[in-house]
Amino acid sequence: MKLRTFILLFFCTGLFWVKSAGAQNGTITADTIIQKVTQVMNPAQSKAKMKMTIMTTSKKTRTFVYQAYSANHGEKTLMKYLKPSRVKGQAILMLNNADDIWVYFPRTRRVRKLATHAKKQKMEGSDFSYEDMGAGNAFIDEFESRLLGEEKREGEHCFKLELKRKPKSSSGYSRLVMWVDKESFVPLVVDYYHDDDSTLLEKRLVCGDIKVIDEIPTPMQMVMFNKLDRTQTDMEFLEVTYKVNLGDDLFTQRGMKK
Amino acid sequence: MRKFLCATLLSLLLIPPLSAQEVDIFGYFEPQYTVIYLDKSYYQLQSNKLRVDLKSTPSETIEFGANFDWIVYHGKRDWNFLDYIPQNLTSSVPPEMRDAYQFTYEDRNFLDNAYLRLSFSSFDLMVGKQQISLGTGYAFNPTDVFNFKDLMDPTYEQPGHNALRIDCQLSCAFSLLALYSPESSWEESGKLLSLRGRWGHFDFSVMGTETQWTITDYYTFIAAQKRRRMVGGDFAGELLGLGVWAEGAYNFVKEEKDFWELVVGSDYTFDSELYLMLEFYHHSLAKSDFRQYDLNDWLRYFYQEQKALSRDQAYCLVQYPATDLLKIGGSALVSLSDGSIAFVPTALYSLYENVELTLIGNVNVGKESKAYGANQGHSLLLRSRVYF
Repeated sequence: MKLRTFILLFFCTGLFWVKSAGAQNGTITADTIIQKVTQVMNPAQSKAKMKMTIMTTSKKTRTFVYQAYSANHGEKTLMKYLKPSRVKGQAILMLNNADDIWVYFPRTRRVRKLATHAKKQKMEGSDFSYEDMGAGNAFIDEFESRLLGEEKREGEHCFKLELKRKPKSSSGYSRLVMWVDKESFVPLVVDYYHDDDSTLLEKRLVCGDIKVIDEIPTPMQMVMFNKLDRTQTDMEFLEVTYKVNLGDDLFTQRGMKK
Repeated sequence: MRKFLCATLLSLLLIPPLSAQEVDIFGYFEPQYTVIYLDKSYYQLQSNKLRVDLKSTPSETIEFGANFDWIVYHGKRDWNFLDYIPQNLTSSVPPEMRDAYQFTYEDRNFLDNAYLRLSFSSFDLMVGKQQISLGTGYAFNPTDVFNFKDLMDPTYEQPGHNALRIDCQLSCAFSLLALYSPESSWEESGKLLSLRGRWGHFDFSVMGTETQWTITDYYTFIAAQKRRRMVGGDFAGELLGLGVWAEGAYNFVKEEKDFWELVVGSDYTFDSELYLMLEFYHHSLAKSDFRQYDLNDWLRYFYQEQKALSRDQAYCLVQYPATDLLKIGGSALVSLSDGSIAFVPTALYSLYENVELTLIGNVNVGKESKAYGANQGHSLLLRSRVYF
């Protein structure tokens, strides 16, 4: 499992508001913070309509709109493209915290299973890879975390954490640096460092416009900056609800085709 | 009937009824230009295709979908298969018979898919013309007895098939597919039963089909319908970090020799996003010695009666995102049996939000008489597709 927890948060999951935890930060450890981040990032179920805008190196834009569903605390995810017409009806199913991924192509009704390596591919040319889109306990399973201190970031008081890839991890990032809001335990900024060079900043994710939806704080705007390609991808919640009852049959190949 | 269908669909487009807001209309326009170099001459063929899709979902359990295709051709529309076949085989064909091997790109207007899907708690029922897609192979699908892929462009959409299909979800990991494709009698109709499942991180399926297989003797032009029963299966998963898949089928053909097909494939994406794929394909009915290819072998392959001319083949695919909007790559079709190769360079460029440009080349470098002999010519196809 790789670093995919964070991005999924903004695609198809919400955040639990953990107000009380921040009050005890005088003694809080990095492991506790990461556990709380992981906990708040994986609500039971969610349904969202998302807009993704890619800004290319030539300053052209490509916009996608899709419906995203998540269940079992982010363990299951289904994304269905609504726009543009070019990809309308395509669907991506991720199970077992994105260890298993399938892509559905409606014009041929073909479902194709992707192996782990395919997660490195950009999703529809965006700055999000399939790996970034998944979910699960990646921060805990794939990284060793260390508390670096406290800093003000994006106007909020934050914990600053460093997450180093574990020796046997298959994550595509060597380390992360993360600024976590002390009140809500929402990661406001995440720096992703290159697979082969832990000093080379590859991507930066910045979250903003946090609104409380169904009692869960949700960053309505996210921007992923690709520092190497000088591109960026904006993500925006058009609709989101956490009060849904999604059946298991939605997260099947049959569910992809509907 | 065709005109009626045209008029009906056009009326849906041009004179929207009150309920039109419930019908989703989309599709694409696809102009295509091909230049062909054959026998020291250049030829051009253009086509314009308009595909209009209709989709309506009156409720969560009912879906209607259809698409209509208009395709018109210009340029050199008349071709002769004999021009692609080694001269030592075609020289025996009497001149007055040559026209029998001609084929023409005729303008076509047709209802490609039109289906109704009813969803119930544990199964879906789908009736009408629909896509049937079987197997895990990319370029070759031994278990797909309904379709014939173009190796130059294996992901291009397939024609719809008239069928009644039931997809039954047995559990989260297992499902059952039953399909009946009616023809003039029960014996002639296509039948398929498939059990699909997941074991660990592997998907697998086992299946059985019964179809009619047309085999033509192209010396006499006498076609025979043979009952073909196939048992097969496939899987897809991951091994040692590589994507792996396999697909096999054993075919029992009435009054003919049984044959089997096998595909084994693997792929990998490097950190640079360079994507590599390799597939091996074996067809036991095809011949391993190119000197044994006869007129029937070539023409059964061209007329899509048999999926391979040479027994063992490899398909290699490379893709690389050169920029955010441009993907370049290509494939190589290698006949391991006769040593001939066809190179298929490709490029895909996203020109605008809903406009794609595709370039597909085809360079045959084998010797004459071989599966990918240079005598079959070379081509370059430029396709643009505008989605709406």
